[in-house]
Amino acid sequence: MLPLKDLRHTMESCNHCGQCKWVLGPKTKGYDYAEICPIHQRFGFDAYSGQGLLNIAEEILDGELEYESGLVDLIYSCTTCGACDINCKSVRDMEVLETILALRARVVADGWGPMPAHQEAAGAVAAHHNIYGRAHEQRFDWLAPEVKLTKNCTTAYFAGCSAAYRYPQIAQDTAKILNAGGLEFTVLHAEEYCCGGPLWRTGQIAEARKVAEHNLAVLEKQGIDRVITSCAECFGAFRDFYPRLGPVNFRVMHITEVVQQLIAEQRLTLHHREDRKVTYHDPCLLGRLSEPYVPWNGEIQAFGRHEPPKQWRRGAQGVYDAPREVLQAIPGVEIVEMVRNEENSYCCGGGGGVAEAFPDFSQWTARERCREAGSTGAAAMVSCCPFCQSALEQALGAADGGMKYLDITRLIAEALG
Amino acid sequence: MSLPKQIYAELEQIVGAEYISDREYILAGLRHAMPSSPVKPLSPAAVLLPGTAEEVQQIVRVCNRHGLKFIPTVSSLIGFAYPTALNTIILQLKRMNRIVEINRTDRYAVIEPGVRHGQLRTELMKAGLSYPVAAVGPGGSVLVNFACSSGDNHNQHGASRTNRYILGVEWVLPSGEMVRLGSLANDAGWFCADGPGPSLRGLVKGYAGPFGGFGVITRIAIGLDEWRGPAELPTEGRSPDYKLRLSPDRHKVFIFKFPTLDRLRDAMIEIGKAEIGQAVLKYFNATAALLATQSANDFWELWESGLFQRELSRPLYVYLATHSAEETAYEEAVLREIVAETGGEEVDPAIRAIYENNMDFFILVGFLQRVLRLGGAWAPAKLSADSVHHMFEIGKAIPEFLEEFAAKRLIVDAPDNFQIISMEYGHLAHIELLFLWDRSMPAWGEIPMQVMARSHETEIRHGHHGSMPPRSMPMLGTLGPLYSNCHIWSEKIREAFGTGR
Ligand SMILES: Cc1cc2nc3c(=O)[nH]c(=O)nc-3n(C[C@H](O)[C@H](O)[C@H](O)COP(=O)(O)OP(=O)(O)OC[C@H]3O[C@@H](n4cnc5c(N)ncnc54)[C@H](O)[C@@H]3O)c2cc1C
Ligand code: SF4
Ligand code: SF4
Repeated sequence: MLPLKDLRHTMESCNHCGQCKWVLGPKTKGYDYAEICPIHQRFGFDAYSGQGLLNIAEEILDGELEYESGLVDLIYSCTTCGACDINCKSVRDMEVLETILALRARVVADGWGPMPAHQEAAGAVAAHHNIYGRAHEQRFDWLAPEVKLTKNCTTAYFAGCSAAYRYPQIAQDTAKILNAGGLEFTVLHAEEYCCGGPLWRTGQIAEARKVAEHNLAVLEKQGIDRVITSCAECFGAFRDFYPRLGPVNFRVMHITEVVQQLIAEQRLTLHHREDRKVTYHDPCLLGRLSEPYVPWNGEIQAFGRHEPPKQWRRGAQGVYDAPREVLQAIPGVEIVEMVRNEENSYCCGGGGGVAEAFPDFSQWTARERCREAGSTGAAAMVSCCPFCQSALEQALGAADGGMKYLDITRLIAEALG
Repeated sequence: MSLPKQIYAELEQIVGAEYISDREYILAGLRHAMPSSPVKPLSPAAVLLPGTAEEVQQIVRVCNRHGLKFIPTVSSLIGFAYPTALNTIILQLKRMNRIVEINRTDRYAVIEPGVRHGQLRTELMKAGLSYPVAAVGPGGSVLVNFACSSGDNHNQHGASRTNRYILGVEWVLPSGEMVRLGSLANDAGWFCADGPGPSLRGLVKGYAGPFGGFGVITRIAIGLDEWRGPAELPTEGRSPDYKLRLSPDRHKVFIFKFPTLDRLRDAMIEIGKAEIGQAVLKYFNATAALLATQSANDFWELWESGLFQRELSRPLYVYLATHSAEETAYEEAVLREIVAETGGEEVDPAIRAIYENNMDFFILVGFLQRVLRLGGAWAPAKLSADSVHHMFEIGKAIPEFLEEFAAKRLIVDAPDNFQIISMEYGHLAHIELLFLWDRSMPAWGEIPMQVMARSHETEIRHGHHGSMPPRSMPMLGTLGPLYSNCHIWSEKIREAFGTGR
């Protein structure tokens, strides 16, 4: 984990160009839906943005800014969606999200963070290995007797806290799909702990590391070489957080990538037809933030030269095509795109600990995303992240506009007939 | 530094509690040092986000009553947007972001300051309309470009600088009084900045714009041009590898290289006489390399290959945007004839392909901020407009003062990193020279001032008109007397109107 002081080049390089607040020029489609940073769109002050958080981080680093509760609130109102990061990286050699995460870790180290709701989640993970504080024994309650697991298999389905406790249908559908495709897999049963992502993103590094190291050891011990997730948060943690802790000896695949492969190999046929127009919401952690972490230890020399050369993660290699191709393979499904899609996707408001700490702002963000979804004329909004589901379903419910939220695994499972 | 409670309360009363702050952590977002400057700007005393022109008027009056200074801003992209004195408040006009009207018949749009290029340009495309977009990125304010800063742009050969496009203006004076210019003054609409009401267009904008020195522009109407492309940008690919190709029947890009600047100049003049082309420019070569690459390391690899120095030290970029395939064929034929007569030849096809595959260079210039990628900064040592001929004379003299800095490795060795853009079919042209330096150099903060000083000396020696005189106080002192004492005039205007800064 890079400490804040190692990100000074990023902080000093910012020229307030504002790219981190706007959809990239060539992807803009008009007046509406041109903003990309939820906190900036909602609160307006520059301090509420990737750029502002860099400025704040620099002043904290230099001891020029005193902590106060409003400052901590601001830092934790960022959804860590990373839109600022990839937009900045389209024009600059900077690590905006890395700095935001390092800032949170620093706030925790200085005793000012995280927010009480995040501390509660960490306490729950310590006691029960899940962020909700539910009994660990119930973690695999979703596992129906008809699910076919394969013993000593090197592929594991990692359900994650959210699918395990809040949205068991996602886990059940995932298992059904894998069985239908004849893909052998196992689960970790009582050895599956929270992926640690929500703790890492709220600056609780030691707590996150503890569960992640547990999961890594279990996966290693069981000889797992492929982990399948149905949760973007877990996917993001495996791709971005785990490699920071040490070597990761397994491949991580999202269920949509698996289904894409099964369809291509003609092992899975989606034949049940249901005509519907849907719009697909790219979860940040499955899309722009899902590129594997690549460590870089080097020197930034005069005129921006990175020695040795650095491999930049700009969000281009996120999982964008798989969910779209899978949806297209479902008879009767028509996809209509939102303006802010793929690497320019607008956050659902559910990530970065915001839903727990600032539910009103989280819902404001979710409503903005639902407004955009509504403008496409789609009847349903499809995505593949239980955190997005929680935020978006709530906003759609409050709006009462008739649009439904569907996890992609539900559509696939239905199409299996 | 926060505001006295009573003043804060007065301002809060105007905008509402949500839209004012003097908390240090909010002000931090507006007080960091720019990479181009060693100096951290002074902290504003507060930042406000007014929502209407009436609120702006009331804020200005409170400022005047209490001796506060104020600076209107939108993106706060440039140094002029930051306080230079204590007791300054920042009015960020982002919430005033309405497109008030798009008039297709009379081809104008009425906008507030918070409307950005990315928004307006793409919204107008749906109506088959356009305007010359400054190369600043999608987040730059359109109103600021048109009314408050220079507004030079890649397409000004077939269009113009933005000062020519300003129509009606709504303006809150430093006194708090509201002035409406041109036809707007008589409630006759937004179509004209000169009469039947008063025209103060020259004061509002002049050549360079007042950069917030004369109150706050709250609305303007801008004239619009025809857009000859599709209603929506046909962008493919993912960041930062976008492809944006327009129909080759109506949109074509050419890049030629010339043996001398004189030949290049002659070609530019002839193209203007023939009245063909949308964009005709000699573009920067180091900047082009920065725009064409995705990281500083990529840039250095390209730059050290020598390709852009070899092919683009005297390039002529031409973008044709026409109504039909026949018109394109005609313009291309004329262009090729002129280039052949003036001794130009096509550059390496790989370079032309960059622009053919991504025509955003002529639309929104979305990747412009890459110019700052080298971790240091850039500054314009030249920035002015005059005849095409004169601009090229200035260009020819650049190595006289720049090479010494490059030889000492204080700046990137790029003496050809200047652009000359033809304007209004070659009736005028604009020049801009960018030099790039790095913050890790010892005493790097002094490099820009030294380069500027040597640039001025060269101008005075040659009788060149290559800089905007009002850009800095030392420049005003030396160049003002040579420009009809403009420094005295600008001071008189400042006295007459007062200033919020
Ligand atoms: C990399 C880079 C490239 C640029 N390229 C170009 C270019 O090609 N062409 C060009 O014209 N400019 C260019 N600029 C200059 C400038 O940034 C742009 O003109 C920009 O659009 C200004 O918009 P903004 O929202 O950032 O304004 P700000 O930075 O917020 O303000 C700019 C100035 O205008 C004043 N101002 C802002 N709003 C108002 C108002 N409503 N009333 C009165 N004064 C106001 C401010 O006080 C400030 O002095 C460039 C700048 C950078 C950093
Ligand atoms: S895009 Fe990057 S450089 Fe530009 S303002 Fe945002 S953080 Fe700063
Ligand atoms: S991570 Fe998202 S919410 Fe946070 S500053 Fe960046 S764009 Fe805004």
